[in-house]
Amino acid sequence: MTANALDVGYLERLKQGQLDLGWLRGPTGEWGVHAKPSKVGLTLRDIATGSYGEVPDVATARSMAPRGSAIDPDMPDLGYTINSKAEVWSDNVMELYEEAVSRQWSATRDIPWTELPELDPDLEHAMSQLCTVLSEVEMVASDFPAKWLWRINHQFVEAKMFLCTQCMDEARHTEVFRKRALANGGGLGQAKSVVERFLALILDAESYDEGSALMHLLGEGIVLSLFRAGELIAPSPVEKRIFRLCMQDEARHVAYGTMHLRFRLNEDPSLAEDYHAYLDRGEDIISMLFSTPEVVEPTAILLAGSVEAATQMGASGSDVVRRQIIEEYFQRCEHAGLPRRHRTKLPAVLLEGTDAVGSGAGTGVPTGA
Amino acid sequence: MATTTSDLPALGADDGPDAWFEALADVARGEADRLAALGIADFRLLVEVASETDTARYGIVLDGYDVTVTHRLGPQEASSFDAVLRGETASWQELIENILANGGADIAHSLNALSIAGWPLQLSSDDPVGRDKFFRYAETLQALFDGISRVRSTRSPTTVREP
Ligand SMILES: [Fe+2]
Ligand SMILES: [Fe+2]
Repeated sequence: MTANALDVGYLERLKQGQLDLGWLRGPTGEWGVHAKPSKVGLTLRDIATGSYGEVPDVATARSMAPRGSAIDPDMPDLGYTINSKAEVWSDNVMELYEEAVSRQWSATRDIPWTELPELDPDLEHAMSQLCTVLSEVEMVASDFPAKWLWRINHQFVEAKMFLCTQCMDEARHTEVFRKRALANGGGLGQAKSVVERFLALILDAESYDEGSALMHLLGEGIVLSLFRAGELIAPSPVEKRIFRLCMQDEARHVAYGTMHLRFRLNEDPSLAEDYHAYLDRGEDIISMLFSTPEVVEPTAILLAGSVEAATQMGASGSDVVRRQIIEEYFQRCEHAGLPRRHRTKLPAVLLEGTDAVGSGAGTGVPTGA
Repeated sequence: MATTTSDLPALGADDGPDAWFEALADVARGEADRLAALGIADFRLLVEVASETDTARYGIVLDGYDVTVTHRLGPQEASSFDAVLRGETASWQELIENILANGGADIAHSLNALSIAGWPLQLSSDDPVGRDKFFRYAETLQALFDGISRVRSTRSPTTVREP
């Protein structure tokens, strides 16, 4: 009788009240554990105790069995390909999961949709175009984690759980920007191929390392800064609330990305050059996004308050946002252990006003020394 | 002690930073449930109110569901914060006036709007993940500040006015 076949004899014995009780009398490694709730309740950190709390550097099993459980010797291999902790872990991942669950919101209920004012047509058009771009890019941050989730070993379940919250967050972001575009007369605007090229780079990444660097650190860092700017340029309290709530979620994703890369490079500093290469490619496409009218002009018009004002201001208005985006990105890279100021592929025209020099090898004008 | 009794004195924008932050502490206590409903948080923000002669420092601590606002901190107490939000007294006063006048900050006076360009408020930190917590908990921080438009306090304005 194999362990995975119907045990008719057991069913016969059970009928007569002969319980097996092997699971009850046999080894019970976690018997006696009493995880204590902390002040917010019983958290993932609180239950990370005993053998369950030991997250192995390299997974010792390839199953969905929880850490700390007694695992059958003939457990099937479920085919996980990410089996080392450093590939997905970050020191803040348990706290980020708890925070994500605690700070969820509803795009249906929590946005005061009935208070949307009628806007000047150019501003409505600009807001709807911005929302079109955002609604297009947001869902890649569900698709990418979803693509890799099933490959991540269950012994790193906290990282999987956090990525599940990200999938939900991004679904809501996709939802809220689509709703905004369709709620006030503007409708959906133009979708550009250059945007999709960046999304494809993330989605088609050959490793989680590559995709995470491109998405969590570069792409979402930029989106976080855009949400900050969005809260500043919001034409009404409705958009202000949308951007503020999205900003909170996005900052969690970036906090994971930054701390994950830090953990990864700390465990294996030799990977730095690989990460630089991923970001070189990402920055090349990001540079093109910065020169795509459908991406940059709506923000400039909303910031200036009108097409005429934006024309008069030129790039000076949105320069604040550009500098912010790029400066914050470099700071996160440095914190993660991957300084990029002196080898970034971002062109000089985008680096103006920052103290980055760049390698001059990007798509724009070389900066020289 | 925080209370909603309307015959108690309301905060005045010219009451000065000690009064502003005492009012924020009142909000943290009096509207604890409303703030907790926004979710757990983990952030230590140092707020600096700079005048020509000195800088007054206060701590805003988000710890789980709890929000605490400190009294004015001494030099030794103003360390181990995740980020610093600094502005001149006049800028903070404008923010307080705006909240009191509108029942909450208007579009141009949210904490994020006032700090995004590095002026009139400056957000800084050695640690970008610590800095980004200002965005991660933006809703809680803004709700705390907006709450001063509702709070009435038993403190005597005469004892907390800036000299
Ligand atoms: Fe998002
Ligand atoms: Fe995100």
